[in-house]
Amino acid sequence: MSSTEDRIRQLVEENLEVDGQPIAQPINLDSNLSDAGVSSMDVVAFGKLVNEEFNANLSVEDCAKLPTLRALIDHLDA
Amino acid sequence: MTVADSAAGCWWRPFREIGDAVVIHIDLEADSTREGDALTWLNEEEKARWRRYEHQGARRRFALCRAALRAILCDQLGCQNERLEFGASDHGKPFAVVNGRRHPISFNVSHSGEHGLVAFAPKGRLGVDVEERVARRDLDVLVTSVLSLGEQSELALKSGCDKVHLFFSLWTIKEALIKALGKGFSLDVSGFEVPLAMRRGVVTSTFRFPEMPSVRWRLENLGNDRFAAAIAHEQF
Repeated sequence: MSSTEDRIRQLVEENLEVDGQPIAQPINLDSNLSDAGVSSMDVVAFGKLVNEEFNANLSVEDCAKLPTLRALIDHLDA
Repeated sequence: MTVADSAAGCWWRPFREIGDAVVIHIDLEADSTREGDALTWLNEEEKARWRRYEHQGARRRFALCRAALRAILCDQLGCQNERLEFGASDHGKPFAVVNGRRHPISFNVSHSGEHGLVAFAPKGRLGVDVEERVARRDLDVLVTSVLSLGEQSELALKSGCDKVHLFFSLWTIKEALIKALGKGFSLDVSGFEVPLAMRRGVVTSTFRFPEMPSVRWRLENLGNDRFAAAIAHEQF
């Protein structure tokens, strides 16, 4: 089974973009989505996808407040 | 450069006045000369933040919006750029600091694609949001995340462009409200409803959060054919 990190990387690659382009490659797990230029609307939608992929229960606030993608991975693995 | 000078080569222009709130439109189209000018307005901390943005478009939007905000606030507050700093609340809402002291002016900034908005007012909490209306394959995901059941029912009666327009109107009004409140997404955005009249096309209304009925907010739908936008302003 893929690791949480691999699955998050794949979700980001397949779903997040800025100005019609994928967010920076390779994906920097230590940046937050805002620094990557991702809009709040995309953050909300991404959180919903993460919930579906991981059967998690992240709120909109959780999604908006997680400082980095690595923090999200740690949260999901905890 | 000031708000009054905006016709002479600036990238921001007066857009609307809503009561005592003023809304300025910022042109965020790619322009290396403007971006170079904008960087001269930023302090070292802001330049570091500018460098952290990984996408050129995100860097440009930050620089042009922050420089315009600085110029607008310096004009309004009668201070020099070097004297203006920004603080932030617990939830990240910025406020102006002049000569080391917090200034009471209310302001808020939003940007999307090639459009930015700065709103300011002498008093009352203020939030503004702008969104370019782009087709989204995940619209239904967003709808169930941020709209109330009543709003979802209203949206279900629409299709095509009408549905997209209504969704973006509702989103911008809700985001303007939570930005005005300054508590970020700690507020459940699906737990309150945009006034029915605005859901049906009226451009202005008043609003009260169910859990704080004593506070009245003026709402205005600022959308046009180029973007969806809204402002929420606390009334006394």
